[in-house]
Amino acid sequence: MQSRFYLSLLLISSLVLIAFMGIAFNREMNPEWKKYQTEYKDFLVKNAKDASTRQRAERIQIGMQQIYIKSLERSDRCMSCHRGVENPLMAEAEQPHRQHSGNYLENHPIAKFGCTVCHRGQDRATNMREAHGEEHTHWDFPIIPSKYIQGSCAQCHDYEMLRQEGGEKVARGEELFRQKGCQGCHKIGGKGGDLGKDIAGIGSRPFAYFSMKHVVGDHNLYNWVKQHFDDPRAIVPESEMRVFLTDEEAELLTTYMMTFVTAEMPRNYTLIKNVIQPKIDGESLYKMYCIACHSDGRVSLYDEIFKRTIPAIRNPAFTRSIDDEHLRTIIKEGRKGTQMTAWKVSAAGLTDADINKIIMYITMNRPEKKPEPFGFLKYKADVRHGEELYNIRCEFCHGAEGKGGEGFLGINLRNPAVQKADPEFLAITVRDGREGTPMVSFGMKGLKLDNQDIADMVAYVKTLSQKK
Amino acid sequence: MIKKTRNTEGVSRRDFLGLAAFGAAILGSIGVLAGSLRFVKADVYSEESKKFKIGKKENFPIGTTRKFDDKNVFIFSDDNGLFAISAICTHLGCIVSPSEFGFQCPCHGSRYDENGNVIGGPAPRPLEWYEINQEVDGTLFIDAGKAVPQGTKYLFA
Repeated sequence: MQSRFYLSLLLISSLVLIAFMGIAFNREMNPEWKKYQTEYKDFLVKNAKDASTRQRAERIQIGMQQIYIKSLERSDRCMSCHRGVENPLMAEAEQPHRQHSGNYLENHPIAKFGCTVCHRGQDRATNMREAHGEEHTHWDFPIIPSKYIQGSCAQCHDYEMLRQEGGEKVARGEELFRQKGCQGCHKIGGKGGDLGKDIAGIGSRPFAYFSMKHVVGDHNLYNWVKQHFDDPRAIVPESEMRVFLTDEEAELLTTYMMTFVTAEMPRNYTLIKNVIQPKIDGESLYKMYCIACHSDGRVSLYDEIFKRTIPAIRNPAFTRSIDDEHLRTIIKEGRKGTQMTAWKVSAAGLTDADINKIIMYITMNRPEKKPEPFGFLKYKADVRHGEELYNIRCEFCHGAEGKGGEGFLGINLRNPAVQKADPEFLAITVRDGREGTPMVSFGMKGLKLDNQDIADMVAYVKTLSQKK
Repeated sequence: MIKKTRNTEGVSRRDFLGLAAFGAAILGSIGVLAGSLRFVKADVYSEESKKFKIGKKENFPIGTTRKFDDKNVFIFSDDNGLFAISAICTHLGCIVSPSEFGFQCPCHGSRYDENGNVIGGPAPRPLEWYEINQEVDGTLFIDAGKAVPQGTKYLFA
């Protein structure tokens, strides 16, 4: 009985082995690329224009193709399926047989560059799903959609050259990056705010770094970045990112994000033609670092994301009453308790010269006429009376505790920038109001409080920081 | 009666089972061994290709001499066709340059005639000749991994 049991076991396991062998043999003999190469060969033989072409087509040997490039550490096997990529006879063919579009291969011969250095995807894979790194293949950098492919060009080329010679998308993405104020919140190369994440290397960050839960379509880097530009809070619910982009702009910026990769190309691959530093004046700096929150700075607005009012920093009523020194302190030190970043060189990385340029730009339209002095010191302020007035006049916008914030139009009066400000400056603001903001004039031009009342109110506001 | 039949049948069945089991096991083992021979030679290797394209044949009218600097190969074209000669000296691997008698090595003075035969100096062997071939679309390429006998010239239609 026992030997019969063992014999049956041997028979069954041997049959299983033979079955697996059959499967392995079949797979080995019929790889996906073999089918495509046979198609390629048949196509060429059938469509040969003359006898010698037909002869050469018939001599094509079918076998796995690989381009090994030592300095790039790549073994691209893409041509196992895309064998016609360098063949002008395949210009009209269907994929995977078609010749490469454009004249890119003239200056980028495949023997030197391979494919994945620009297109990404898995170099060693031998079937389409794995080579293209589609969903569930666990390859961090799937093949890059052609709308973002120009991000790869910046590995070797400068933006001025790209702008002129076939890389306009990524060049425009780079421009947009500066104009949309991305560095207001994101650090790159040590410069930029810290509300958002440092974006260095985002183009080569592994899949696992991103939260893909809410991404629509294939879960990959490209879709994450694009959809995050479209609506940050749809992808990362707690995001505070302020973006207002058209679909096209989001695509261009996604392309630009793909240029932030950690690996550097070897010297003999790079070609820098025009090292023109873009002109960085006060306006450019304002756009790079300020515009994302302050917009054009002319009107103050209550922001639904920050849950507070963002001040109008280029409003003449503001620039008229604030001096450069006060502005400089705010920009350099930031405003604690708000989203305003400290921009000094040791924090967000702006030099004093940069900050001066920004101040010049902000105060460009500062009215000649200084406001009429208030003469705060002439008045003997009564804090208790000020509190009564505050509760009638100011509480509605600034809140009973003067904190402003969510649901209130007014700014936080407990902020050091207010508490440490010159009372003269505060009194003038209360008296004259701020055009372009909800802050109205409380003086004779507006709500007709006399200067004594205003002085009392300012004195009370100055005590707010000591209150619980 | 019944017992006997079962016995004889049982024995023959066991014989069959034994034959089938060992037969399948041997077949399977042979298959595994034969299959593993497949892996002795790899489909592709991690080495840079020695093939390189040199363009259309129209670029090489009769009388042409061209050197591909980064590949260290000379291309010549005469009445009998195109041929490719290595520029790497067989002595210690310096790069030879053309001279009035053929090729001259700058390092230790090896001299070769115009077919690459050694006519002086320490070089042990003549310069190598390489295969020239044609892609389907007519582009020529040289395979510097494939040496061909001296005097092999290629005529392309």
